[in-house]
Amino acid sequence: MSPDPFIRIGIDIGGTFTDLQILDERSGALRSLKTPTTPEDPSIGLITGLNEAATRYGFALTDIRLLLHGTTIATNAVLERRLAKGVLLTTAGFEDILEIGRHSRKDIYGLKPHHDAPLIPRDRRLGVAERIRGDGSVERAIDPTSIAPLLETLDALGAEAVAICLLNAHVNPAHEQALAQAIRAACPELPLCLSSELSPEIREYERSSTTALNTLLMPVVGAYLARLTGRLAEAGITGRLLLVQSNSGVCSAEVASRQPARLLLSGPSGGALATLRMAESLQRPNLLGVDMGGTSFDICVVHEGSVTRMTQGEIDGLPVRLPMIEIRTIGSGGGSLASVDDAGRLRVGPRSAGSRPGPVCYGRGGTEPAVTDANIALGRLDPRFFLGGAMPLDAPAAEAAIVSRIGAPLGLGAQQAAAGMLAVTDTNLAAAARLSLFEKGLDPREFSLLSFGGAGGLHAIPVAEELGVPEVIFPADASTFSAFGILHSDIMHDLTRSRVMPAIEDNLPRIAAFLQELREQGDALLAADGVPASERRFNVSADLRYRGQAFELVIPWEAPAAEPAALSTLLAAFHAEHARRFSYSNTAAPVELVALRLSATGLLARARTRRAPGLGADRKPEARRIWLGDAWREVPVHQREQLTAPVSGPALIEEEYTTIFLAEGWRCAPGPDHTLIARRQSAGQTEALAA
Amino acid sequence: MSTPLDAIALEILRNALTAAAAEMDVTVWRTSRSTIVRELLDYSTAIFDAHGDNVAQSARIPQHLNSMSTGLRTVLRDHLPLERWEDGDVVITNDPYCGGQHIPDILAFRPVFAEGQRVAIVGTLCHHLDMGGMAAGSYAATATEVFQEGLRIPPLKLVKAGVINDDLLAMMRQNVRRPDMLWGDLQAQLASLAVGEANIRKLADRVGATTLTEACARILDGSERAMRAMIGRIPDGKYDFEDFLDDDGIDARPIRIHAEVEVRGEEMVIDLSGCGPQAVGPVNATLASSGSAVSYAVMAIADAEIPPNAGCYRPVTVIAPEGSIVNARHPAPVANRIATGHRLATTLLGALHKAVPGRVPAAYYGVSYVCSFQTIGEQGERGVLVEIEVGGSGAHDDTDGLNGYTYGMHNNSNIPVEMIESELPITLTGYGLLPGSGGAGRQRGGLGLFREWRIDSAEAVFTANLERFKHRPYGLEGGEPGSAGALFLIRGGARQALGSKVNNLRLMRGDTIRLETSGGGGFGPAAERSAAAQAMDRQLGYLAA
Repeated sequence: MSPDPFIRIGIDIGGTFTDLQILDERSGALRSLKTPTTPEDPSIGLITGLNEAATRYGFALTDIRLLLHGTTIATNAVLERRLAKGVLLTTAGFEDILEIGRHSRKDIYGLKPHHDAPLIPRDRRLGVAERIRGDGSVERAIDPTSIAPLLETLDALGAEAVAICLLNAHVNPAHEQALAQAIRAACPELPLCLSSELSPEIREYERSSTTALNTLLMPVVGAYLARLTGRLAEAGITGRLLLVQSNSGVCSAEVASRQPARLLLSGPSGGALATLRMAESLQRPNLLGVDMGGTSFDICVVHEGSVTRMTQGEIDGLPVRLPMIEIRTIGSGGGSLASVDDAGRLRVGPRSAGSRPGPVCYGRGGTEPAVTDANIALGRLDPRFFLGGAMPLDAPAAEAAIVSRIGAPLGLGAQQAAAGMLAVTDTNLAAAARLSLFEKGLDPREFSLLSFGGAGGLHAIPVAEELGVPEVIFPADASTFSAFGILHSDIMHDLTRSRVMPAIEDNLPRIAAFLQELREQGDALLAADGVPASERRFNVSADLRYRGQAFELVIPWEAPAAEPAALSTLLAAFHAEHARRFSYSNTAAPVELVALRLSATGLLARARTRRAPGLGADRKPEARRIWLGDAWREVPVHQREQLTAPVSGPALIEEEYTTIFLAEGWRCAPGPDHTLIARRQSAGQTEALAA
Repeated sequence: MSTPLDAIALEILRNALTAAAAEMDVTVWRTSRSTIVRELLDYSTAIFDAHGDNVAQSARIPQHLNSMSTGLRTVLRDHLPLERWEDGDVVITNDPYCGGQHIPDILAFRPVFAEGQRVAIVGTLCHHLDMGGMAAGSYAATATEVFQEGLRIPPLKLVKAGVINDDLLAMMRQNVRRPDMLWGDLQAQLASLAVGEANIRKLADRVGATTLTEACARILDGSERAMRAMIGRIPDGKYDFEDFLDDDGIDARPIRIHAEVEVRGEEMVIDLSGCGPQAVGPVNATLASSGSAVSYAVMAIADAEIPPNAGCYRPVTVIAPEGSIVNARHPAPVANRIATGHRLATTLLGALHKAVPGRVPAAYYGVSYVCSFQTIGEQGERGVLVEIEVGGSGAHDDTDGLNGYTYGMHNNSNIPVEMIESELPITLTGYGLLPGSGGAGRQRGGLGLFREWRIDSAEAVFTANLERFKHRPYGLEGGEPGSAGALFLIRGGARQALGSKVNNLRLMRGDTIRLETSGGGGFGPAAERSAAAQAMDRQLGYLAA
């Protein structure tokens, strides 16, 4: 007889690797594992990873209590347009909203802009003769005799899923519900999504886009989850499966298959969660998380102990109106390509070599120099020890490409050209990170930077220097760090009521009704998840704006109550936040409430963790020549596993999957939780651009 | 720290300047009050060198960006020489005859000081909701003098050494319909300038004023070099084209827009002498407007990515006789200068198609469909809605045009139907693509749109400044033109066609206004359209029933 299940596993499936973090909840021992991703069906690699982990770390699959799973299945399905053939039902006369969009374009000069076909083509967008007004009253009711022909059309079109998004349904969902009821009665198996259930928020295009995405994903994600749960059952795993959402929480497989759009930006969500956990455990309430891999650089912000979230995101140019962690992504990574244009301008990225052919030094046919080639040419990466020595790199080829493509046209030597590539990269990264803080009115000097991802270690300190951030933290297992975040997530449901109204005492009864509805709905959802009442947490926030503004600020409402005093507190918080972010406020101006939001959190038991000894490299400390400033210098190369005392830059610190570059003027020491913490030795030594 | 100005340092400085413009942009977006700025995104921000040449910009609206330099240089040359700009000053103007384009656009500039020198100027341009004058939104379709179009502000200091000039502000507030919105959006401009100034000053402190100045010069030179190389790849010769504006809103005769583009080695001379004389109605353009259209067209045909800045325009000379529609003489009205801006752009692109066939599509709709409504309730309460709609883009030689897509000289967002209905007594009764509106061709033009507004208030006043009701967006290489635009008043079930220019039309409860925008032109003979493409057009209902 085995004991009660005690293993909790966080799984992050990326494009190349499936990362696992394995926690023994009895002892708190934490271990990690990487296994290749199986893109054709990621659940195969997942099961392989579980088996490998069980064998290597000595537990049985039946010991697994909790499986927290981050997946890009929804994201990839959208990017590759592997979506179901869906139909959109909408208000007659407005069938083209989904195709028209919001007009504004990003490239202002291009005569031939890139523009994808609408998610659901025109012949599969059906208008329903009905109309609800802006105040929720019915202008035109649905004619019951129109339902039968509608069902016939759905059948004739071979609809695999149906999206329903009617005008003003966020105010009055009755017509959407009536259509859904009729369709469910006739075709109980047909996946169906109502905008008023998924994203009951004002702005019809954004709501339509969100609803359409969700609907077209339902069959795709549903099929994946069915395969996965089948494989888990075959393997005898009875532990609970939870999926990582874009909002930093997890949800049940049932919710995920009903509302798969909630998973759309869950990829970087794991990294943000991990950043949040580190902010808590290291007591760094202001933490800037940067994740640099081969092709992209993702930035998230933890401010005053909370990760910043937004009410709308975007995937492949399509808006997704659902709460999610705010992540800024720029196309800059180890694979970013450098080039010199006609005007003698050095550019780095956003073009990328990806992993195929990859940088020149990979020797897989790449000819244009990438950022990794520059790191090799300057000695910052050891060509013999890339990926723990698994992949020897061709340093002479990297240098030759830099000389011919960058150095020669600019009249620079190999090292100057390579150093230039890195300087341009680092300033681009810093500018993006600075904008993430700037938008929120935050000062980089009050932040620490947390660096993870395979390419992060070489750039974090130069970026921090540029930003004026005084401290950089390197977590353990940087390359499976997202899985670590996932391991510590909680169940979360985001609920909304959207109605534009003056934020005045006269409206308190309506606010009271919304608060109660939200709370009841949240309670019911958490109860369905099996979360006991003691473990439920509810956070209310309000979307507020000055009348006339078309953009809202989301203001947390600490003690929500439909009472004059609580309302005043909320309004005071709004004015203060407005002043902080926008440099002015106007307490005399009328304020409008646009939405009330509730995050219903179901706490999963917190486990204390202690990192078990890694497989770390058994290499001897050595020294290496690297290019610094304008000359080669011999600097010490430390092995992270063996680092017990502070070291000063310039130096390199190597570990299995990543290398840290410690610049001159920085000092690095082991910190709590197996982190390394680097600090600028004397602030003010270098004037920060950002300050 | 001093930085040697090699290609690397230059690229880093360029990125820092662009980042500063982007932060200014974010500031305007997040702090403005009116929907025209916030949802329509009708604003731009830029960084200029001390001569008024723009070195970096945030990508927003072509019609604005290229003109901000012209405006600033005019201010510096004719009104406020640089030595009179003090630290903490903010200079504003909206005067079309002092470097502006039309009255609603307020340009605001602030100098940046470093080491006691004026090293740069930061600038913003916002389209304000209303600047007074004979029509709400300062968009009077029947104005015959600029004096009717609203309050004109010559280049004046709204802020002197950090202190707001309350007298000027009071004067402005007294003359506009929504003083709270004016002040709110002006504050957004001031906040944006403060952000830009602080960023550039820090940059100058870091690298030194001389290095910054040199970097600006090098950035402009680099774009000039790239532009010269681009022009050098175009075959020498003279290429001309003509297109027409329907009318000026007062006089029904069409107005000719003609351009002759001469390519000589690495330079281009654009002769607009063939354009019609300045109009009685408000479709006139000042040089700031016309120059924008020229810059846009030249940038748009570039076959390489060229950082957009004032250096790009050095190899291009524009000849525009004073007193013509493209260089109007004071006090000609200019509110709807975008009409001429669009038409100049389509004319120039038509000429450039002859020079670089394969790069230029058939004509896009070429109109900013500005429709404004002022609702008036039983108790006299008022609401204002200003909308800017779009049409279809023109087909390329290998692709169809885009349906309902913002293109060419402007770049606006639409306003969500639900946002309008939650705020104003107006109900939208339809918004969609217009089948059959795209010009036929081997490649079909993109479809135009229809949009319908029903008045639910006691009454309302409607104004519109439209175009292409008669002269349709041209096709190329045998492609058909896109559809003509149209405007209707639907009252008591009867549909009545309105003209393209409507001024202060009184509407009653239940009246509906229907706008139909033009589709884009087709490319190549329609007979050559593939069977598969025709079948898809029919399946998607893109053709007229």
